[in-house]
Amino acid sequence: MKLKEIDRTAMQAWSPAQNHPIYLATGTSAQQLDATFSTNASLEIFELDLSDPSLDMKSCATFSSSHRYHKLIWGPYKMDSKGDVSGVLIAGGENGNIILYDPSKIIAGDKEVVIAQNDKHTGPVRALDVNIFQMHCSGLAWHPDVATQMVLASEDDRLPVIQMWDLRFASSPLRVLENHARGILAIAWSMADPELLLSCGKDAKILCSNPNTGEVLYELPTNTQWCFDIQWCPRNPAVLSAASFDGRISVYSIMGGSTDGLRQKQVDKLSSSFGNLDPFGTGQPLPPLQIPQQTAQHSMVLPLKKPPKWIRRPVGASFSFGGKLVTFESVRVPSQQGAEQQQQQLVFISQVVTEKEFLSRSDQLQQVVRSQGYVAYCQKKIDASQIEFEKNVWSFLKVNFEDDSRGKYLELLGYRKEDLGKKIALALNKVDGADVRIKEEKQESEFLPSAGGTFNISISGDIDGLITQALLTGNFESAVDLCLHDNRMADAIILAIAGGQELLAQTQKKYFAKSQSKITRLITAVVMKNWKEIVESCDLKNWREALAAVLTYAKPDEFSALCVTTSDLSDLSVIQNVLLRKHGVLTGENPPPPGFLMHGNINPNAAAQRPTSPGHVHTQGPPYPQPQPCQPAQQYSFGTGGSAMYRPQQPVAPPASNAYPNTPYAPSAASYSGQSQLYAAQHQASSPNSSPAPAFPPPPSSGASFQHGGPGAPPSSSAYALPPGTTGTLPAASELPASQRTGLRLKGIWFGSLLYFFTNRWVDGGLLFVVANCILYGSMPENFMPPVPITSPIMNPLGDPQSQMLQQQPSAPVPLSGQASFPQPHLPGGQPFHGLQQPLSQAGLPPAFSKPSIEGAPGAPIGNTIQVTVNLRKWNGEMALFPYISFNMLTFMIAPLLINEHLNLQTKRKLDDASKRLEFLYDKLREQTLSPTITSGLHSIARSIETRNYSEGLTIHTHIVSTSNFSETSAFMPVLKVVLTQANKLGV
Amino acid sequence: VSVINTVDTSHEDMIHDAQMDYYGTRLATCSSDRSVKIFDVRNGGQILIADLRGHEGPVWQVAWAHPMYGNILASCSYDRKVIIWKEENGTWEKTHEHSGHDSSVNSVCWAPHDYGLILACGSSEGAISLLTYTGEGQWEVKKINNAHAIGCNAVSWAPAVVPGSLIDQPSGQKPNYIKKFASGGCDNLIKLWKEEEDGQWKEEQKLEAHSDWVRDVAWAPSIGLPTSTIASCSQDGRVFIWTCDDASGNTWSPKLLHKFNGVVWHVSWSITANILAVSGGDNKVTLWKESVDGQWVCISDVNKGQGSVSASVTEGQQNEQ
Repeated sequence: MKLKEIDRTAMQAWSPAQNHPIYLATGTSAQQLDATFSTNASLEIFELDLSDPSLDMKSCATFSSSHRYHKLIWGPYKMDSKGDVSGVLIAGGENGNIILYDPSKIIAGDKEVVIAQNDKHTGPVRALDVNIFQMHCSGLAWHPDVATQMVLASEDDRLPVIQMWDLRFASSPLRVLENHARGILAIAWSMADPELLLSCGKDAKILCSNPNTGEVLYELPTNTQWCFDIQWCPRNPAVLSAASFDGRISVYSIMGGSTDGLRQKQVDKLSSSFGNLDPFGTGQPLPPLQIPQQTAQHSMVLPLKKPPKWIRRPVGASFSFGGKLVTFESVRVPSQQGAEQQQQQLVFISQVVTEKEFLSRSDQLQQVVRSQGYVAYCQKKIDASQIEFEKNVWSFLKVNFEDDSRGKYLELLGYRKEDLGKKIALALNKVDGADVRIKEEKQESEFLPSAGGTFNISISGDIDGLITQALLTGNFESAVDLCLHDNRMADAIILAIAGGQELLAQTQKKYFAKSQSKITRLITAVVMKNWKEIVESCDLKNWREALAAVLTYAKPDEFSALCVTTSDLSDLSVIQNVLLRKHGVLTGENPPPPGFLMHGNINPNAAAQRPTSPGHVHTQGPPYPQPQPCQPAQQYSFGTGGSAMYRPQQPVAPPASNAYPNTPYAPSAASYSGQSQLYAAQHQASSPNSSPAPAFPPPPSSGASFQHGGPGAPPSSSAYALPPGTTGTLPAASELPASQRTGLRLKGIWFGSLLYFFTNRWVDGGLLFVVANCILYGSMPENFMPPVPITSPIMNPLGDPQSQMLQQQPSAPVPLSGQASFPQPHLPGGQPFHGLQQPLSQAGLPPAFSKPSIEGAPGAPIGNTIQVTVNLRKWNGEMALFPYISFNMLTFMIAPLLINEHLNLQTKRKLDDASKRLEFLYDKLREQTLSPTITSGLHSIARSIETRNYSEGLTIHTHIVSTSNFSETSAFMPVLKVVLTQANKLGV
Repeated sequence: VSVINTVDTSHEDMIHDAQMDYYGTRLATCSSDRSVKIFDVRNGGQILIADLRGHEGPVWQVAWAHPMYGNILASCSYDRKVIIWKEENGTWEKTHEHSGHDSSVNSVCWAPHDYGLILACGSSEGAISLLTYTGEGQWEVKKINNAHAIGCNAVSWAPAVVPGSLIDQPSGQKPNYIKKFASGGCDNLIKLWKEEEDGQWKEEQKLEAHSDWVRDVAWAPSIGLPTSTIASCSQDGRVFIWTCDDASGNTWSPKLLHKFNGVVWHVSWSITANILAVSGGDNKVTLWKESVDGQWVCISDVNKGQGSVSASVTEGQQNEQ
């Protein structure tokens, strides 16, 4: 691409590479004449200003010379880096002289520009070159890099070749370039890229070839004129100048590009030659000349085929994310042969790190974090810190990582525990002295006014201050001590509560030691739970109170012992003793922890129910000593009075019902007999009596209970059934926990068994009733144990509305309606029983049930019992379950015996297990999935149990087992056998 | 400076550029062997992902587009073409080829992502072209002819940060970004260009200090400080740091960083713009940092990838991430 042109027929020389800006010197050519045929010679210097888009070059200086030139070169001699001295311009004159000019002087317009002149040549000096090494002539160019290589050009049209020689191998040229068609007039080897050799010839071509390969890389677009001189611009490697015989020096760029700018210049020139005015008198200025657009291929000049060396960037470093630096380079690696070398193009990714110290500190910290060595680190910091503040900061930071960080903090804050302890000890001693106290009181009074104001934490040396300090350091003990010494009991107790159980106990002790009121002893005993003390030391007259206290507070495990002690006080009956002892022993197995109420985590139902039954269990105690309150016993005795007559086979006895209206027991009897009306009436009558009802729990319908729905005894009613003398008993709320989840069931069973025992010994008969109770009690707790099938299904259907009702009107109707409510849930009172009654009676309940009840009915406060019986009735309504009841009862009967007789635990466990396994039988019976043969067989066994003919039972058992399907019976028959065997053995 | 990864690119000829992508996980290299290669260099590895062939001449530069536009790489070559490569479904394909230049395309640079997908290309013919992606595979081309006589060697975009925005009270308005870029060329000039409201590019400034070809310009990233900075390097061995403090952006003053013995090919700012890497013709890479008193200090001399931080590190320096 042509950049500039100068209309001269002249030799030319570029300023050296060091020079800036770039100049082009021209000297009038000696060989050619321009159109003017002028023989005037001049030396001109032009500046190459590439920022000027025009083709004109700015002339800097002109020097008229006496002779024309054959050759012009510009050497860097005497140049400094600042470019102050512009080197030397050497000209070969037509007269054979060589003249050295000072270009700076020419540019400055100085007259004396010649440095030196040499006239040794006799002919024209045609070729000159300045080299560090030597000079050489036209048609010859030294290799820019390799000192031994040169090219020679031939002007001969017959052999227009360029030869490349290496003087080390001077016998023949290295390469011969034959790209020109006619003689070559000038050559120029690029100093910037040795692979670029310019040549111009008489074929009017300017070629750029690679002398190493001979390939023509570029052909400059020129006109048809020959170029007689061609020069690379030393400084701008892409620029070259060519002087042509058409009287023009053109400056080209070898990088190609558009020639649009050039054309435009020509156009402008043409236009301006006509002038802007109106040359034709048309009255209008001529429009700018329009030149038809040349075809693209003409206007576009391709760049060098080979990229010149100077644009091949060999290095580069680029930053990228994370302080990484990407650099690249080619590395020469000897190949395997060793002789050749391979280029390996490598890219390096480096991490730039500039903050060494910072990083090392960071690393240090990282290490500390990893190794957790904070304390040492902080210590180091403390040691290194110069300022007090810094020291403090690090001290606090350090404490943070120490074991007793809070304590150390306090120390840092000036609260040293040891010091405080000393102070307190001192203060306590002082307090003993009266004078000190007075003094302190004074101080106290001084402090008082401020108490109402802003919250001021006093840490003075008096008691208040010491207490404060003790509190600040969490030393409750000292604080309490101080309070006690200061006779501030309330403060002491309150602080002790905050200080924890142990401290509280201690403080209590100290308090009791100090205080001496009348009831202190009782309080002490209550608080300290020292019942023995009470029981042993209480006046004989107060045995009831003592017992009451024991019953209220005693833990089950010490209960019996205490009772025994208590019984020593009074003339309790042996039975009571035995009973209590049994109870104690039994319950001892599962000591109910205090605070049971807090344990309601099974389900709401259970939680609510639990309190009732255990409560009763315990509350039953007190009534015993007094014949009257001891309702349960009476009930049972009465009820069981007729039990002897009880036989399942017995038909329903309608007459029995007559007795009901009169007695509380009647209802129960009625229930057995299936007399609905009577029962209902009785029930209603009884309802007011059921005192414990308020405690009746809302029975939410738990899924578990539903599953086992059916004739299970309603726990709620059962709960009511037993607490006869509720009025006389202590609330025993604290004892409610007795019904601990797991223990509950067993306890129920045991208690049931107890009852059985009790009644069995005392009254021969009433067995079924007892059994009922047993089951009720047994099942009641089971209610809390979902896996056990005997649950309270009856309650479940009631749903919430029912439960609400129960709460409001918790008396007998509730459970009744509950049971009856399957058909009509909301009917209170006796009515529901009608519905219930029918099926019950149809089920063919053993009339025996009713009879004993009737007889034993005499007015007892037994609304509860009625419920039980009703429940039982309903429950027994499915007579199919009879065997189960019997078996279960049997286990219940056996169990306490075993324990009582100190039989081995293994057997007991077996029985316990048996009672569980019997649930399976229960299910089978309820679902009536057993074959009739087995069912009837079981019934027979049950009957034999009723008659205590266990051996007969065993025989039947064997018969069943041998005749029935093993898979059908295997689940329960073995168990049954165990029970029977045990019963037989023990003679239950 | 420690080499953490050496990648043997297996290029058959000289490498001319190597650039990491935005995340520093991939390396793109280009070479005189006419290929562009992409390596996965995570964890010190070097897995060749792509060997892109399409250029018919030496490939001078590669440039990663911001990842928000996908994985896009632009390359420019002596063959007068600019090729935009894109990774689709794990495969790198040529997505666009721009052949609007008459001479070697020496430099490509993506505009800040805020402006969209815009690529500036500087060519030896002296023209700069701007390719703007207009969607659906279309690229709009604007060309600045004769930006630099006999060649444009480098283009570098100004960051899309309004100078001083870090300090100034936020006005609540959307910052009025003016697209600007710098170019350096064989006319020894650095030119600053800005987009007029009519979308035309206009020469805004001409920075004159170099006495030879400007080989590279690099507009420093900005965090919003009031000063804009440009680094330039030249064939004359000089590296200048140009700074502009006034809001109008018209007064630029050069400060000579150093005069090297040979041509300086490349300048590159660290992401935080506090370190300048200068690549010289003697295959040396030096790292420069401005000290507190405004003097530029060479902090490192990386030679053949095995440099070490020189002892000239004296001033308190900020942490280079």
